[in-house]
Amino acid sequence: MTIFSLYIFDRHCECIYYQDWHRTRSARPPPPPSFKAGVHRLPPPSSQAQHGNDNTTTTGRESIFSDNNNRSSLQSQINGGGSGGGMNGLGSGVGGSSTRGPKGLPFDEEAKLVYGVILSLRNMVKKLSGREEAFTSYSTSQYKLHLYETITGYKFVLLSDPSSDSLRFVLRQLYVGPFVDYVVRNPLVVMDSREEGIDNDQFRAAVDRHMRGLSMFGT
Amino acid sequence: MTVHALWVISKAGGLVFSRSYSDALPPLPVNTILTLAGILHGIHAITAKLTPSPIPGQPVGGLESFEAEGWGGKVFLTATGTKFVVLHSIPHPGLDDLLRRIYEIYSDAVMKNPFHTLEMPINSSLFETRLQTLVASVNV
Repeated sequence: MTIFSLYIFDRHCECIYYQDWHRTRSARPPPPPSFKAGVHRLPPPSSQAQHGNDNTTTTGRESIFSDNNNRSSLQSQINGGGSGGGMNGLGSGVGGSSTRGPKGLPFDEEAKLVYGVILSLRNMVKKLSGREEAFTSYSTSQYKLHLYETITGYKFVLLSDPSSDSLRFVLRQLYVGPFVDYVVRNPLVVMDSREEGIDNDQFRAAVDRHMRGLSMFGT
Repeated sequence: MTVHALWVISKAGGLVFSRSYSDALPPLPVNTILTLAGILHGIHAITAKLTPSPIPGQPVGGLESFEAEGWGGKVFLTATGTKFVVLHSIPHPGLDDLLRRIYEIYSDAVMKNPFHTLEMPINSSLFETRLQTLVASVNV
């Protein structure tokens, strides 16, 4: 049993929060034009093996990441850019796996694909059942995606391994617990901004704690 | 388990067969089902790309099943790219077996039919009657 990643989307179809745990193919940081603050803490591109076509924008990306997120970029520099990457579980990648293996999609494109898939499946389920019926999950041979949608239009999306049971209750717990405590009641977080995400240290730590406490979290 | 409907989607994403076997899901016009089958075909390709942790040496597959609150769908992809989609009730014991038997019937009644054109809608009374018998034995 493993948990891979968590996405939160708002009602404007924007990804406002992202966190991952056991991914071997981690998302690449997005290029500067589509970078959105306060969503994820992916390590800056300099710590990853660069492909030829990315080299031109490396410096631009780095400055954007360090401007918005001093802590995470500092941490990954300390970690030697590839040996560690653990960041106390607050960032991405476990055991330096983020620098190995095939590279995934840039984060912004991946988030759009995730949203597109859940939106299409949700509409399909609605059309097929002819009433307001919620789409809850889908699975492939290698992962399972769980969706929990709140009345306010926030969509909590969790990727886990395919053998797990329904994890919607976990998403609900995240919504009722950390999300309400550290995002909704947090005066420093701008909800519905479209410009930036909802990331803050308390929320990230609380989500991390919650997930690690689950029996299906895995090693 | 109740089988609500069966679709067969060709490797190009076109719907070549669709039958409804229960009235739990409302009847839909063929055009709508055609669109939905096309969407499902696209989603199948995208879901494979989203795999967070590909296991080395294993093929990265697309969507295999999806669930709503009271029912679900199972996608069975054959080696040649044809997809069988079964909409079913939850829980669904013996669903994999059912899909294999549907594939068997498809091979026997459709692929061995010399008058069948590949990628074209399936018009075979033998296929339909054998499916009807199979589904009737499963539906409660």
